[in-house]
Order: sequence, then C-alpha cells, then structure tokens
Amino acid sequence: MSVAAPRRRAPRRAHGPRILLTTEATYPYAMGGVSSWCHLVVSGLPEFTWSILPIHAGGRRPRQLFELPPHAALAGRVDVWSEQLPRRRSRRNRRGTRRGSRPALPAELARTLIGWTSDPDALTDALVWCRRHPEALRRTFRSVDAWSLFLAELRNVLDERHPDVGRTPELDAVDAANLYQRLYWIARTAAVETPATDLLHVTAAGWAAIPALVHQRISGVPLLLTEHGVYVREAYLAAARSSAPAGERFLSSRLARGLSMAAYAGADVVAPVTEANARWELGLGVEPASIRVIHNGIAPTPSRSDPPGDLKVVSIGRIDPLKDVQTMLHVAAEVTRRIPAAHFEYWGPPTKGQEVYARTCEVLRGQLALGDRFRFMGTTSAPADVVRSADVVLMTSISEGLPMAALEAMAQGRAIVATGVGGVPDLLRGCGIVVPSGDVRGLATGVTALLRDQRLAARLGQRAYARVHDHYTQHTCLRRYRALLAELTGPRP
Amino acid sequence: MHARLGRPAQDVLELAVVLEAWGGIATVTALGLGAGALPHDAQPTPEQSARWAPADHAIRESVVPEGVTLLLAILAIAAWAGPLGRQLGPATLGRALSVALPVTLSLQWMIRSRYLSRQAGLRLLAADRVPLSLLAAAIGTLLLLLPGFGPIAAMLVAIWVGGTVLSRRGWGLAYGALLIAEAVGLAAGLAADLSLGAVTLATTIAVAAAVGTAGAASGELPGRMARALVAALLGALLGGLLVGDTSLGWGIHGAFPALALVPSVIGSVWGGYHLWALHDEIPRGLRGVSLAHAGGRIAHGPAAGIVIGALARLVGITTFLSALVLSAGFWTRGTDDLSLFVAFGCAALLCLLVSLLESLGYLRWALLSGAAGLAAELGMNRWAGAPVPGAGLIAGSVVGTLIAGVPLTGRLRSPGRMLATALWIK
Repeated sequence: MSVAAPRRRAPRRAHGPRILLTTEATYPYAMGGVSSWCHLVVSGLPEFTWSILPIHAGGRRPRQLFELPPHAALAGRVDVWSEQLPRRRSRRNRRGTRRGSRPALPAELARTLIGWTSDPDALTDALVWCRRHPEALRRTFRSVDAWSLFLAELRNVLDERHPDVGRTPELDAVDAANLYQRLYWIARTAAVETPATDLLHVTAAGWAAIPALVHQRISGVPLLLTEHGVYVREAYLAAARSSAPAGERFLSSRLARGLSMAAYAGADVVAPVTEANARWELGLGVEPASIRVIHNGIAPTPSRSDPPGDLKVVSIGRIDPLKDVQTMLHVAAEVTRRIPAAHFEYWGPPTKGQEVYARTCEVLRGQLALGDRFRFMGTTSAPADVVRSADVVLMTSISEGLPMAALEAMAQGRAIVATGVGGVPDLLRGCGIVVPSGDVRGLATGVTALLRDQRLAARLGQRAYARVHDHYTQHTCLRRYRALLAELTGPRP
Repeated sequence: MHARLGRPAQDVLELAVVLEAWGGIATVTALGLGAGALPHDAQPTPEQSARWAPADHAIRESVVPEGVTLLLAILAIAAWAGPLGRQLGPATLGRALSVALPVTLSLQWMIRSRYLSRQAGLRLLAADRVPLSLLAAAIGTLLLLLPGFGPIAAMLVAIWVGGTVLSRRGWGLAYGALLIAEAVGLAAGLAADLSLGAVTLATTIAVAAAVGTAGAASGELPGRMARALVAALLGALLGGLLVGDTSLGWGIHGAFPALALVPSVIGSVWGGYHLWALHDEIPRGLRGVSLAHAGGRIAHGPAAGIVIGALARLVGITTFLSALVLSAGFWTRGTDDLSLFVAFGCAALLCLLVSLLESLGYLRWALLSGAAGLAAELGMNRWAGAPVPGAGLIAGSVVGTLIAGVPLTGRLRSPGRMLATALWIK
C-alpha cells in the first residue's frame, strides 16, 4: 500500500477545527449511499477543515468521482494490495519512527483480531508499533520466525474453547498464508501517516478504523464512528452466502469482527444512521451512552405527484445478493400472474465482483418467463425521475442500514413494499408495507394490493412524503452532525 | 440454520445474523439467543477441495511468442555477425556487442519489471512515454559519444529493446521478418551502417505505433521504480557476464557462431515458461495441508517440484539441442567447441535462478549471485586465462548459481513458508 498517490494536499481554504475522515472503498472513488452521505457532510459543513483518507483496494489507480470542496483535501490514499511500498518519510516526519523488528507481530495480530476474546488494547499497541516502524514491516513479515510464531498462535486461537463459539473449521496452509497476507496489509494500513487533526471521523467499523485507532492512541484525539450498515453483520452475511471454503469464510468473518470490536472499543461516539444499527451495536457491547443515532437525509422535493397508474413497479439498487434480486424476480412472477399488465423495472448496475450473480438473475428471469414484464435497466443518473414514474417501489434486501433508495421514493411520495431489515421498519412506520425478508408471497401480496388499490398507494405515498420531510431531510442530518462535531472538537471537560 | 447454511453456525454472531436476515427474528432476540443455541458437538462438514483461481495466464501465454521472437532475433543476428564483422572490423563489432548486450539486458529487465509484467504493460508504457523517451534519448546520446563503435552499439540496443516491446504487442513475427530481411541484405552486400540505421528507424517507428495504439489507461499501477532499478542492475550484471569472457568471440569468427546460443535460449524459454506455474501450483499443492505442516519442510512439495521441473527442462533441452548443433558440424563451423555450449547453458541456468530470486523479492541474493558470478568470471580471465573457450563464463555462472541456490534450497522445501513470506508478501 502506498499513501503515495495522490500526494497529501492541504485544503485550499482551511479554518475551523480539523477533521480526518477515513473511508473504505467508498468516498471519493465510488458512487453509493455512503459516498453520497460523505459528500453531503463534507460539503455541507464548511466550518470544519476536512482531510479525507480513503482506503482503496484492487491495485488500480482509482478515478475520483466527487470533487472536493475548498475546505477539504485528500490526505493521501491507502492502496491495499498494491505492490508499492510506503514512500520513505522525510527526516522531519521520521521523528518517532524507529528501526527494529518484532517477529511476534503477525502472531499478535492473529490473536487480537481472530481470537474470540478480543483485546483491543493489545491490538492497538501492535498497530502503534507498525506506525513507528513502517520500514520494518515488510522485513518482519518475510521472516521465518514471524511465520513460525504466527502459525503457532493461529493454532492456539483455533483451539480456543468458548461457549459462544461452535467448532472451528480446519484451516489449511493456504488459509493461513491468506490470513498472514491480510494481516500484513492491516499492519501496512496502520503504518500510514495521518495528518494532525482535532477529530477522527471513521465511516465504517473495519479497515477505515485502523489508521484512526493508531492516531487516537498516539495523540488522544477523539474518534467518531458513523456506521451506515453494521460492518461485522455484513461481513458475516457475506460469509454465510459465500461458496468459499469454510476456512476462508471463518477467517474473513472473524477478521471483520476483530476490526469492528476494536473500532467500537476506540470510538468515543458511535453514530449509526438508524435505530436498527444501534440495536446491533448495543448487542455487540457498545455503551448505550456512546450511541447517537443520526439519520441520513435527503434533499426535500417541493411538491408531490400522484402515482401515474401504469401498474409499474420500480426498484433501485445494485444487483447484489444483499438486495436479493432473485426473490424480487419470484415476486414479479407471482404479481404478474395475478395482474398480467403489471411490469417491473430494476435500475442499477451489478456490484463489482458480483457479475456472476447478475448473470444468474438474468437466467432466472428467463426461467420464470418474465420477458418484458421484468427488465434490468442499468444505471440511472436521475433516480428521482425513475421513482416518480412508478406506482410502487419494491425493496427485497436482506441487509440495509437506512436505504437512500427508500428515502428517494418517500421524497417523491411513492408507496413502498419492503423487507423488514435494518432501519427499514422504523423508516416505513405507518407509510409502507413491511414483510419478512425472503417472503415471496407476502411481498407479492403487498405489491398486488397497492397496484389494485391506487387510493391506498397514494395515501401511503402521501404519508411517506410527510414523514421524510419531518424527519429525514439533509438539513436535519447536517444540523445534528454540526452539533456533534462541534461538541467533539470543542474544549473537553 | 441448516436450511440456510447447510451447516451449523460457527458462533453466536453468525447465528444471530442469519436468524435476523432470513428468519425474520428481531435483532435483540437473535443476539440474545446465546451459546445455548449452538451445537458444540457438531463435526465440521467435509468440503470439496477448493478451486484455485489461476494467475495471469495472458501474461504466461505471452512468453511463447516472446520466446519465438527472441529465437528469430538470435538466428537473424547470428547471421549478421559475419557480414558486420567483415565491414566494420572484428574489433569494432566486438566492442559494440560488449556494450550493447549489457545495456540491452538492463533495459529489458527494467521495462519487464515495471511495465511488461503487468497485464496492461503496454498501456503503462504509454503512460510513461515522456520520461521513457527522455531516458532512451539520454542512453542513445551516451552510446553515440563512444568513439568508433558507439553508433553501432546504439542501433543494436534500439533494435533489441524494441523487439521486446514489439513481441509483447504481438508483432513478433513482423519484427522477425525485419531482422531476416536485414540478414539477407547484409549478405547481399548492403552497407552495414545504413541498413542497420534503416532497421533501427523501422523498429523505433513500430515501437511508437505499438505503444501508441495500446489503448487507454487501465488504472493498473506499474511496478515499483526501486525494484525496476534493481532489475536493471541485474540485467546489466548478467549482460556483463555474457560479454565479460573474451574467449567467446561473440560470433565474429565462423559462419553462424551465435548458433551456440540457440540451445540454451530455447531451454531457458521453456524452463521459464514452466516456472510461471509456481504462482498457481504452490497454493494448489498446499490446499489441504494442515496447519501443523504449513511451516515445515515437505518432501516433494509443489515449489521444489516446479523449480526442479524448470531446471530439468532447461538442462535437458539445452543438452539435446547442443548435441544436435554440434553434430551438424558443417553448419556450425566456429561454434564446435563443446565448452561454448556448456558456458551458454550455465549462463542460462544462472539467468533462470536470478530471475526466480528477483520475482520472489530476494533482491539482495539476486544481486549478490549476479555480481559474484561476474567477479568470478573476470577473475578467471585475469588470473587463469582461458584454458577452453567460455571457461570464464562457466566459472562465473557456476559461482553465481551456487550462491543463488543458497536461499532457494531451504525455501523450496518449505512451500508454505515460501507462499506466505515471499510469493504473497511482495
């Protein structure tokens, strides 16, 4: 990884407290809900000086998709899996860095990140060592001793017995080497220099937390964690759906858990976007007093239109197993069986890496003989127009935070039928139909009822419109963040 | 849980996540189920041995046309040696070759390390065309300043380095045809400097076209500059080794003397092609190897098997083809010294091992073996002379090979360690 490209820049206009925002695979290099939220907060709060430290994977030079405002600048970029080594630090920046070796480092990282009984303090100690010895990391991880110690510790971790843990799968040498490589990249991420700041703002309880945890330990700056989804929950869901070998699934979910637990332990405030996430965070050990729910917001629309009555059902989202598009196809088959004139449009591209899933969806569409009654429309740059053309908006996700697509539909006054995951039930309370995830019949009945009863659909849309304007505007979101950031960057008691 | 996952949950967190996502159970309830809901006595479900995604086959496959191009180039240039030697004088050509070969190998190793080892290699080259053009101009100017033989050396470097780019672009056969045309022209009495100039110009234009039409930037990152510089140094050392033995004569005597190079080049290409499997075969071979054995030595492990296979191919094909060339004594007048074939075979072996060390990131060992080989060769030339043609090259290659073997021997026997600490920690 290099923090090499692009070089660190200072914001063109810098005044007010400094905030370092760390992101993972999102802002400013990818479109999506988290990126939109980042851009809203960074652009909408010019009284702070923002530095953005994105963590990017893939070994490719990413394209910046968001133009940063004058009071914000990139603080470098962490290119995970790239072959580039960190740029040698200048003499001035080398203060505090030391030569040395710590052959037990990979073993310590394995223990603190993969072990069930986590020790965030020990993890942060190891990560701080990485920051202070950046040039020792490659040498350490390539040493025979480090590999031997790591293997011994990994066997100890797997032998760990705890009532909350079932039987661990048997790992093989490739699983171990794979984990070893990931731990190397975690160490390299920890070694990244971070600029002086008054507040660390982490946007996911995973890799994005690593440089922030180190900075916090070294300088005592407060750390704010905003969770859009629940990182560890999504990692476990991904592992549960994955066809990867048991060892690989086990390690990726445990690693996410280790990172999340460390992020939760280090965060002074955790700000989920929905109460549903807060329930997970509480369940995972976050102190209730540290949690402040701040909802996502959307730009208000001046007026609301009634549904056009075309029997059109629309969905917006990436083609991704988390969106459970296959259930949606079955719902479409069921609805069109009941109302032959009904038709469905799915707007959104496949998630990178989920092209095979997208192809299986296309195959299923053919098997269900849906033809033109269900169409994959590709990407849209005008989601508001797409939603406005619909009578009903359908969401079949198995995991959500506070979905922007739902807020978009509500802002246009459209009735929604959705699965009750994440923050969706809270969001749609009294203004939509919520069904358990995977319930094809329930979802189909909801959609059919709204298509047949246009007055009910309009009334639900009206209530959704009112609800979004009362509780989920960008203005409200920014006002609450402004207050929270001022509190965290202000004088401490 | 079984219906959804086909196995028991690994821990209470997975239990809660699955029950909440697919079972419709509220978060608090799911998280509160706790350890009682976990089957602790469940046996792990046996799994299919995992498939392993192969590495970059496109690049591996490109080794074949590159090898064929290299062979054509050697054959053609072997045919140039006689006429060029007669027109320019053996001394001038000898000096030109002894400068051009190390410079060429240095540049080839550098651009391969930084650009051509990537899938988007030519596009990466295109992105750096301005600094690379400046570098080429600087090297060209320096070579041109060398009295007498400088222009010939500069043209040979441009032609040979250009060939690497053209073969990667898939234009290797056209490049080979150009070299053969030059061989025919020289044999027919064309002026050496003018015809070489024309070939240089044609190659340069073709390289510009190959890079210019490679496509838009892909976002792929080039290799590390520091590593490319080390690769350049390694190329220079190996080139120095090839020209450091004055007893070789470099084809200035005899009809097709550079033919002695052909067996070892073919053996080297074949061995190198086999070595590409290392990145795929080690993880494949280690699937199912328990953690207890992941750090230890594995007899007949995948790493050792592949490297031994590569070496066997190199040695086998070099020996066989050398015997073939030697038996055709009528055609190989001037290259019928057995020691010459042995020397080039040893040099190919050293190149293969140094290349392996470089690709595994053992740069210091690679540099040490290259430098020690060169030093041994020069020492041999100085103090022992040349008891047989190529003796210096043999001595240098053997010393370099022995040193290169030190880090490899232990590591190849511990493939788990090699995978974790070398192949996957770049």
